[in-house]
Amino acid sequence: MLDRTISPAIHDIEKIHFVEPKIYPLQHETKLFLMKEVFDETVRIEFHFQAGAIQGVKNAANFVNSLLFSGTKDKSSTQIHEELDQLGAYLDQEISSEKAFVSVYCLRKNVEKVLDIVHDSITNVAFLEHELSDMIQEKKQRLLVSLEKVNFLARKAFQQHLFASNEVYRRQLEPEDFDQIKIEDLKAFHREFYLNGLSKIVVVSNLEEAIINRIVEQFKGWSNTTTKTYETKFNNNKGTFHITKKDAIQTAIRIGLPMFNKKDEDFIDFQFLQTIFGDYFGSRLMSNIREDKGYTYGIGCSLVETKLTGYFVIATEVAKEVSEATLTEIKYEIDRLQTEPIPADELNLVKNYLVGQLLKSADGPNSMMDMFLSVYDYQLPLDFYANYLRKIKDMKSETIQKLAKKYLNWSDFTIITAG
Amino acid sequence: MIQFERFTLNNGLKVLFHKDPTTPLAVVNTLYDVGARDEDPDKTGFAHLFEHLMFGGSVNIPDFDKPLQFAGGESNAFTSNDITNYYDVLPAQNIETALWLESDRMLSLAFTAKSLETQRSVVIEEFKQRYLNQPYGDVWLELRPLAYETHPYQWATIGKEIKHIEEATMQDVKDFFRAHYCPNNAILCIAGDFELNQIKTLVEKWFGEIPSQEKYVRNLPIEAVQKEFKQKTIERKVPSDAFYYAFKMPARKDPDYHTADIISDAIGGDKSSRLYQAILKKAKLVSEINAYITGSLDQGLFLITGKLAPGKSFEDLDAALWLELDKINHLHMETKELERLKNKIQTAKEFQEQGLLNRAMNLSFHELLGDANGINTEKDSYKNITPEAIHRVSNQLFRKENCSLLKVKAI
Repeated sequence: MLDRTISPAIHDIEKIHFVEPKIYPLQHETKLFLMKEVFDETVRIEFHFQAGAIQGVKNAANFVNSLLFSGTKDKSSTQIHEELDQLGAYLDQEISSEKAFVSVYCLRKNVEKVLDIVHDSITNVAFLEHELSDMIQEKKQRLLVSLEKVNFLARKAFQQHLFASNEVYRRQLEPEDFDQIKIEDLKAFHREFYLNGLSKIVVVSNLEEAIINRIVEQFKGWSNTTTKTYETKFNNNKGTFHITKKDAIQTAIRIGLPMFNKKDEDFIDFQFLQTIFGDYFGSRLMSNIREDKGYTYGIGCSLVETKLTGYFVIATEVAKEVSEATLTEIKYEIDRLQTEPIPADELNLVKNYLVGQLLKSADGPNSMMDMFLSVYDYQLPLDFYANYLRKIKDMKSETIQKLAKKYLNWSDFTIITAG
Repeated sequence: MIQFERFTLNNGLKVLFHKDPTTPLAVVNTLYDVGARDEDPDKTGFAHLFEHLMFGGSVNIPDFDKPLQFAGGESNAFTSNDITNYYDVLPAQNIETALWLESDRMLSLAFTAKSLETQRSVVIEEFKQRYLNQPYGDVWLELRPLAYETHPYQWATIGKEIKHIEEATMQDVKDFFRAHYCPNNAILCIAGDFELNQIKTLVEKWFGEIPSQEKYVRNLPIEAVQKEFKQKTIERKVPSDAFYYAFKMPARKDPDYHTADIISDAIGGDKSSRLYQAILKKAKLVSEINAYITGSLDQGLFLITGKLAPGKSFEDLDAALWLELDKINHLHMETKELERLKNKIQTAKEFQEQGLLNRAMNLSFHELLGDANGINTEKDSYKNITPEAIHRVSNQLFRKENCSLLKVKAI
């Protein structure tokens, strides 16, 4: 007779299988990383540039990134997009504080033609007046819509106060900025941070050596020639800051403080701590604020790494009436971490969960590439993950408690409420 | 080609198995043939509320999430107007944990008062966060009842109003479970590095004894053919005026479905699409414009949506739009354009097949449509589309009397 009250046996995961990408140098420090473990016809290529929002003149980074495929003197943006669509290709452009990306998705049979178009479009972008005004229109509308959302307002304020010590990291797009764009600034930014700003090329596809060499030759001229500076430690504005949004029925909350990245000796232990606290469905924050009190549809935390440092953030949107109560509960959960040892079964559950997550993040060529770059970018060896696995399995509740006391002091936090 | 095996248990549970020897993970995907369309019009939002309750403990297992996390796994679900889909992803060697959990909650839920109260609050917050506290958030709560006068698609998955969720009782919830959550109303798909006989044994072990229930017979009110143009204007505190043109389109299993899909790409899928070029780039009437389809099992909606550029009027946009649609209705599409559309679809499908979870979910969905192998043959449905088919289907779609228009006026 089947006894459904007894769980099936759990099997331990002993090791995780990694495949390392092959590395091809371009010029100076720039390299191409190739993951060939792909058993279909897909190609994903990502170009990384040092063209983040902190570089150059304010907002130039944002506008240039959006205009990369807006047309050369020989081809309009319509033509460029039609040609790429004809080859079944998809494009994506993204920008963050420290970096910018251009991603290309296509099938193997078309990769050379697609890359020819990408190279030409970006190298020869003409920054035509009418393309600029179309882009401004689109962006302005999106910004105005975003400014109506409490989570956007909270993130904006959080950025202001978390990066209080560094003006360029605080840069944000404002509605007034759209009238002040100078095409000369955009051209200068493009020359410096794209045509001389390529920091890496990431390729996930089963491409032949000859094609890879072609890519290296084609794009090596963009390799970045200068080292840029990045923040090594942020100093935040401590305390609570409220942004009023009339008629909002929910309040967005962002709480955080400067932290570190994986080069710090406490990184792995802190990852464990922040998982227990708010980074999985059974976390302290979810169990209390969602599952017990029903205040929110979702609450969580994460440790965000930047190039040379990092920060920790807790985020949620709650019913307006309970925003004070939510802050009280968050503080309560931090106090608990500092004063009560984590019970053994919870510790073991999170150990197993994290091992499962590690397995998941090593599954498939894209994940393996991300895992590799995640340590490579911090000049760490791949056995970081073997160390990670070991530390997770050996984690003690005293360590969690000690770390919570060291890093999570309520008076050090930036606390934002918007609504 | 995505390979799979199929078998059915005595209790009616359809099981699919997809072997993937390259991954250390396993996926257990359970699709229940129930969605928002199966709700009582005075008790809407139930299918979705119920999805939340499925994580609140089952008859033999008080906590769903913890045992799965302990096995190194995680889980999630989603509800639509047509289906409710649950999935677990975990290390392959622990697959039995997922089967134990899924089979127990198919057998019966714990139905605790605490679970209902908590999830009620959570769903109410979700309603606010996604539909009420966002600019344009309640558009679908207005558009659906405009487009559908009798069919249950007239309400969104989240429900018609918060009141329905507030008033849901434990008995309502139990009745809903009994009617829809049984093996003969479900499709189970397992994917990972296993052998068929291994999976057969495990599935029979955990699901074999679950009794089947009286099969729910779907008898939904039929939406009469739309014979006249409908429109509604609402005023909202939003940054710009917005428009939502909804045309009635073929149901998912209709042979013309894929043609309607490719037409949505042609007219508004991306920056080389017709409406983007004519109405945004050239006429500068809008700051954004899109076309997409709902993909529903019963008669669906083909949407053309967007936001007006500052200083432009609904009337100007309306005239320009119908002009473009008229051009499309007179069009005989050139091979080049058709090839372009098909090439993009081919790339997209190739990428979609990469994830183990995507494969498991798609296999389950195609099985619901009638044959899991549809996941492989669907490519041909797109390949075989002709300019004649596009011409015919466009003319059926783009008629004023087939259209429901919602205008959002910024105040």
